[in-house]
Amino acid sequence: MKREQWITAAGVLATLMLWEVTGRIFPGVRDLIATPSLIVAQYRSDAALYLPHILSTVRSATFGFVIGNGIAIIAAILFCRFPALEYAFHGVNIALFAMPAIVVGPVLAIILSGNLPQIVLSALVVYFPTMSAALVGLRDIDPRLPDIVRTYGGDSNAILRFVRLRSAMPAILAGLRAAAPLSVLGAILGEFGSGVRWGLGSFLLGSLGEADPARLLGIGFAATAVALVGYGIFAWVGRRVTGSTAAVTIAADRSPDEISFASQSSWLRHVALLVAAVLMPFLLWWLILRISHISAIIAPGPLETLRYLLTGPESSDARAALWSALGETLPVAGLGLVFGILAAFLFAALTVIRPAAAAVIMPAAMLLQSMPLIALIPLVLLLFGRDTTASVVISVLVVFFPAFVLLAQGFALVPRAARELVQLYGGGRSKELRLVSVPYSAPYVFAAAKLVAPRALLGVMVAEWLLSGRGLGNLLNSSRGLLDYDRVWAGAVISILIAVLAYEAISLIERMIQKTQ
Amino acid sequence: MTAEQPGTQGREVADLSITDVSKTFRARGVSTVALASVTLKVAHGSFVAIIGASGCGKSTLLRLAAGLEEPDSGEVLVRNEPPRTFRARGELGIAFQDPALLSWRTVRRNIALPFQILGRPVAAHRQRIDELIELVGLRGYGDALPGQLSGGMRQRVAIARALVTNPSVLLLDEPFGALDQILRRSMNLELQRIWMASPTTALMVTHSIDEAAFLADQVVVMQAAPGRISDVIAVPFPRPRAPALFAAPEFHAVCDQLAAALERCGAS
Repeated sequence: MKREQWITAAGVLATLMLWEVTGRIFPGVRDLIATPSLIVAQYRSDAALYLPHILSTVRSATFGFVIGNGIAIIAAILFCRFPALEYAFHGVNIALFAMPAIVVGPVLAIILSGNLPQIVLSALVVYFPTMSAALVGLRDIDPRLPDIVRTYGGDSNAILRFVRLRSAMPAILAGLRAAAPLSVLGAILGEFGSGVRWGLGSFLLGSLGEADPARLLGIGFAATAVALVGYGIFAWVGRRVTGSTAAVTIAADRSPDEISFASQSSWLRHVALLVAAVLMPFLLWWLILRISHISAIIAPGPLETLRYLLTGPESSDARAALWSALGETLPVAGLGLVFGILAAFLFAALTVIRPAAAAVIMPAAMLLQSMPLIALIPLVLLLFGRDTTASVVISVLVVFFPAFVLLAQGFALVPRAARELVQLYGGGRSKELRLVSVPYSAPYVFAAAKLVAPRALLGVMVAEWLLSGRGLGNLLNSSRGLLDYDRVWAGAVISILIAVLAYEAISLIERMIQKTQ
Repeated sequence: MTAEQPGTQGREVADLSITDVSKTFRARGVSTVALASVTLKVAHGSFVAIIGASGCGKSTLLRLAAGLEEPDSGEVLVRNEPPRTFRARGELGIAFQDPALLSWRTVRRNIALPFQILGRPVAAHRQRIDELIELVGLRGYGDALPGQLSGGMRQRVAIARALVTNPSVLLLDEPFGALDQILRRSMNLELQRIWMASPTTALMVTHSIDEAAFLADQVVVMQAAPGRISDVIAVPFPRPRAPALFAAPEFHAVCDQLAAALERCGAS
C-alpha cells in the first residue's frame, strides 16, 4: 500500500474508534447512530436474513451488469464505426445517462415480473458509463495508427480490429469499474419499484419503519460493501491488464457537435439527425410496447401519455399533481446541486493551498463517490429525520463527492509553469489560487455540474420516496401503490425529460462559455 | 518540374509521378491551399528529400503519394498505378515522426503488423522479421514492449516495420524529427545503409538541411502559401557517404545552397 492509503486506512480506523467510544460514553449518541460493536452484534443476529437478501441483489446486479455492459460495448463499437448513428442515438444516450433511475423501476415493474425489473434497471444504469468510456477509448487513438493500417490496404474494419479494440481496453475497464457499483444501485432501486421480497433494497424498505439504528446502518454498510467489492474486482483486473489505475471519473458525454463528422456533413443532414435524436427515445418506447404486445391500459405509449396529460378526462388533475410535485422536488434538487458544487469547489481549492490534504482526502472521496447513494439513506434518516432537510442533505452529499473528484483533477491540471510564475514574483499560495488556479479551473465547474445534476435529482427523489413522502418521488411511489398506471408513466417521462433538459441547458452554457474564451 | 536522377540508375522510370496536383483544406470556414499544381517525378531507386517551411504542403505531398489523401485535381501514380491499388500489394512502406507503434505488441509483433493487415501468414516471414531486427540494431529486443525502449529504439522499430514487406517505395515523414542531433546522425547513417542494401525508392520529408544534404540524391525545396516547388537541387556526393562528409567543405557548400534556396522562398 502507498502512504496515502495507509493514512486513509488509519483515518477510517480512528473514526470507528471515536464512534465506538462516544457511543459508549453518551447514550444519546448510541441511541441515535448505534456503535460499531452494536452494528456487528446486529449482523450476527441478522446473518440468516442477510444471505438471501445479498444473494438476490447480487444476482440481479450481475445479470444487469453483463447485459448492460455487453450492449454498451457493442453500441460504442457501432457509434465509433458509424458516427451518424451516435448522433441519432444522442437523445437515447442522454436520457439513459440523466434519467433518475428510481422512476424507471415502477414502469419496469408494470411491464415485467419477477427479478426482471431489477435486472433491466441495473442494465439501463450501467449502459452509459461503459458506452461513453468505451467510445472515448475507441476514438482517442494515436492518429498515425490508422495511416499505418491504410498504407497496407487496411480499411475501417482493419483499423478497428488491429488498433481501436485493444487501444480501448483500459478505457473499457475503467468504464466497467465505474459501472460495477452502479449495477448494485440499479438492482436496489429496482427492488423499491417492484416490491419483491428479497434484496438489500427490500430489506432496507422493510426496516425503515422500525428505525433500529444498528440494523439500518448495517444494511447501508452491507450495500456499500457489495458495491465496493464489484468496484475492487474491476480495479484489480484493470491494474493487471493495463498496469495503471488511470481515468477515475467517467467524463460526461461529448455533445455531438464536437464530433468532426457533424462539421463535414450538410446542413440538411444535420437537421435530419437532430430530429432523429429527439424522436428516437419516443420511437423506441412505442416500438418496444408494440413488439411486446402489452396492453395499452397498463403500458401507454407516447401518444396516450400525451393525451393523458393534455386532453384526457383526468388531464387537469394529473397536471396539477405533477406541478405541485415538481414545485417540491426541483427547488430541493437545485439547492443540493448548487451547495454540493460550491462545497466541492471550495474543498478542491483547499487541496491547492494544502497539497498534503489532497493526498488524504482524494482516496476517501474516490471511494465515497462509488458508494451507492442508497447507503446514505439510513445515516441521513437517523441524523436528519424525514423532513425536507434530509432530502437537501442527501442531494448535497451525492453531488459533493464526484464533483470534488472532478474539480480537484481540474485544479491539478493547471500548468505548473503558470503557477510558478506567481511564486516567481513573490506571490503566495492564495494569490496563485486567485490569479491562476481558480480562473483556469472554472470551466470544470460546468463539466462537474453536467455530471452530477442527474445525481442531485435522483438523490432527492430517493429521499422523497423513502423518507419525506413528498414531491415527484412520492408521487411515483403512491401512484404505483394505487395502480394508477397512466400517472406512473407520465411521472417517469416528465422526470426524465426534466433531467435531460437540465443536462442540455448546462451543456449549452458550457459551450457558450467555451466560445467566449 | 522534373526531378531526374542522372546516370547511376540507368533507364529512367518514374516510380512516383505526381502531375499537376492541387489540394485545398477547409476547416472552420477557412480554406488553406496546401498544394497548387505541383508536379514531381521521383526516379526508380533514387532518394529524394523535401524541405520547406511549415505549412508548405510537404507532408500533404507525402500523404497523397500514400493514398492517405485524395488530390482535388491532378494525378498521383505510384509505378503507373493509383496509390490505393499499389499499397494493397504491400509495396509501400511508411514511417512518421512519431513511431506510431502498438504499445501492447512486442517489437517483433509490431514489425509483423503489415503482414497481418495484408492477410499474409506471419510465420512465413519470421526470418525476414529477425533480419530486420538485426538490421536496425535491435538484436535481443524482439520480445520487448515499446514502453521498455528509448525514443530512438522505438523509431528504429518503426523503420523496420516500414521495410518489412520489402517495399519498392518508401515514404518517410520527418522520421527522425523528434530525435536529438547525435542520435539523428547515427540514424541517418543507418538509413543510408538500409536503403543501399535493398532496392528502394525513397521520398523523405525533413526539417533538417543537414539530413537532406547527407541522405538525398536530390533535394526538393518547397514554399508555402500556396504550397509549391520552388527549387530542385542535386546532391552529387558518391555513396556510401561517411560521417566525415558532415565536416567536409563541399558538404557545407551544398547546405549553404539549400539554405539560400529556402531563404529565397521566404522560409527562414
